[in-house]
Amino acid sequence: MRIGSAKQSYAADAALFDSATQWRWVALLGASLVVFPFVASQYWLYMACLVAINIASATGLNILTGYTGLVSLGQAAFMGLGAYTVGVLQLRYGTPFLLNLLAGGFVAMLAGIVVGLPSLRVKGLYLAIATIAAGVIAHFLFSHFTALTGGTAGLTVPPASLFGIQLDTDFRLYWVIVPIAGLMLLGAANLFRTRIGRAFIAIRDRDISAEVLGIPLLPYKLLSFAISSFYAGVAGGLFAYFFRAITPESFPLLMSIFFLAAVIVGGMGTILGSVLGAVFMTLVPEVLKIVVGWLPLGGNATLILSPVRTIVFGLMIVLFLIFEPHGLAEVWRRIRRLFHLWPFRT
Amino acid sequence: MSLSKRDFCATSLVAATLLALAPSAMAQKKAAAPLEDIVFGGSIPLTGVFAFAGIGIDAGIKDYLTILNESGGVAGRKVKYVAEDTGYKVDQSMAAFKKITSQNKVSLYYADSTGFVKAVNPELERVGSVLMTGASFAKEISNAQKYPLQFMMGPDYSEMVSILLQYIAKTKPGAKVALVYSDTEFGKDPVEAARADTKKLGLNLVTEIVTPPGSVDVSAEVVKLRRAAPDYTIFHGYVSAPIPEFINQARGQGLQTQFMGTFWSMDKTTVMRMGPNADGFLGVMPYRYYDDTDGKAPMLDKIRKMRPEYQSTAYMQGFLAAMLLTEAAKRTLAQGNELNGKNLKTALSSIRNFDTGGLIGVPLSIKGNSIPIGRIYKADFKAQKMVPASDWISLQQ
Repeated sequence: MRIGSAKQSYAADAALFDSATQWRWVALLGASLVVFPFVASQYWLYMACLVAINIASATGLNILTGYTGLVSLGQAAFMGLGAYTVGVLQLRYGTPFLLNLLAGGFVAMLAGIVVGLPSLRVKGLYLAIATIAAGVIAHFLFSHFTALTGGTAGLTVPPASLFGIQLDTDFRLYWVIVPIAGLMLLGAANLFRTRIGRAFIAIRDRDISAEVLGIPLLPYKLLSFAISSFYAGVAGGLFAYFFRAITPESFPLLMSIFFLAAVIVGGMGTILGSVLGAVFMTLVPEVLKIVVGWLPLGGNATLILSPVRTIVFGLMIVLFLIFEPHGLAEVWRRIRRLFHLWPFRT
Repeated sequence: MSLSKRDFCATSLVAATLLALAPSAMAQKKAAAPLEDIVFGGSIPLTGVFAFAGIGIDAGIKDYLTILNESGGVAGRKVKYVAEDTGYKVDQSMAAFKKITSQNKVSLYYADSTGFVKAVNPELERVGSVLMTGASFAKEISNAQKYPLQFMMGPDYSEMVSILLQYIAKTKPGAKVALVYSDTEFGKDPVEAARADTKKLGLNLVTEIVTPPGSVDVSAEVVKLRRAAPDYTIFHGYVSAPIPEFINQARGQGLQTQFMGTFWSMDKTTVMRMGPNADGFLGVMPYRYYDDTDGKAPMLDKIRKMRPEYQSTAYMQGFLAAMLLTEAAKRTLAQGNELNGKNLKTALSSIRNFDTGGLIGVPLSIKGNSIPIGRIYKADFKAQKMVPASDWISLQQ
């Protein structure tokens, strides 16, 4: 049983990991992530890259929705902007991979600032509708600005190249996508140790009180939109390099709903929630497929059980929302508490 | 427990002997092993918006492979079908592809969407062991240089519209034609080619109407169509909506244009659901309908025997996909070549005057990435049937 965690300085109090045990777990996770590509099949490597991209984007949305309290359904559009920027730069100018990713993030960030402008006046569902409109406009641009975006046929993106190595396999992409997603997570976690991050939280909790406390709402709300869409833009850029084919239909509204669901299921306002939510939303449908595959039902099992699987996935989300509205992050915390306090109960 | 020097030496000797013998034992086992199955993989949309087709495609592939395996398979090798549901989502289709190809030695594959086909193409070329076909009829995929390991089971969308235009030019030279398409990649695919074809065939393209996909209110578009008063109106880029609404409103306003559709809006059940106003609806179909009894079609008879109830046109597509891809495998093995993407594609392209058992009404020769053959069918609402309205039209030179 852990009876306490003594902190003797403010720095220790604000530390991301407050015990040696946590550091050991982080080291173990890091080592596992290094070993993983050498032992995993093509399929699991693909899933790992996809999960990492989704974590990056979900983290961005969590900064905006979970931490600042601004609901957005435009995440897919911002990802699209990032993806198209990367695609165009890679195709036309062959500029370096990391520069393209940053440019993707930057373009999405600018769009995010524009879309965020109504956020001073409107909140909640109204803001969600405004961000949907941004998605519609982005889709229109992707499909009609043919000279740049390839129109409805989209773009086929050449593989990225880093230090002369073509990133054309999942194995190679893993070494880029996962560290970038990790860096983005670290950046987000650290953001909430700063004045900016705390201002976001204050705005979420009560924007009028935040303003009374001296937090100017518009700049901070726009900053939250900017950071969030930067994350989406970089994630979109990674998406473009990962799938190598982008069309206007690659970034539907459903994708934004997917990320919002990931943030809610994972836990709003926690970095761990973004990770767990993205992992849950991406991997659970696949795990359900594997489970269905194990059932001794013979030939037509896939056909019969596919709709059932979809229902089960939907039901799992609903049950999570009912029984754990704070998301998977809270479940995780409770499990941790159980081990810390054992043999006593929480 | 401690190990003496003697025990250690003895254990090492036994281990070394076992290691030395293992490869030869494995080789013997390999020699005695039965012939390896040929794997036919599939990213199939059994759920989601495209499930209506995915379920038929799945059944079509399964049925043909059952017939094939019961008659001895391909050069004595059985063909194993491994499919995963994709929900018609590109990331899930890709996941299914990675999963199936990492767990099996896949030679043939069915892809469920244009988006997936485009995304998987670099990987397909990199791996080099798979020949792919799928549900996409996008013009871009028919470019054999860009998509060397892919093939489509019918005419591409431009060729479908071209077949319709050839029919129109023959039936009513100089006719006025309208093109109604959805504002999607699917809808816009044949537009450029259609403009060129109408000019070439001496037809008059009087209007082009673009609608959002699945739009419900089309009254403004119908007014525009009425003003243009075309003899023929071709819909493309839809499965159903807004075609029924369009037809009903147009008929309500007394417009006497002949409505036409392309493959995905031409399944019998889809057309019949449009209601009595859809009587006489024309469209292009690369395969015979399940209940088309016009002409000799032994394979269709076999299908009817296996499945007494109506099977969709998506079923026919899946069935033909399995037939032609396994034919490519058969030819590759017959030439003593390895089953890889390049050899399979070469074998597929060597097909000349191939009899599909009546699924396609003319002998099939393969050039390029598509089969530019189709027939015009007409909806007979009273008989609840699609009946042939033309002979088979081939765009092959």
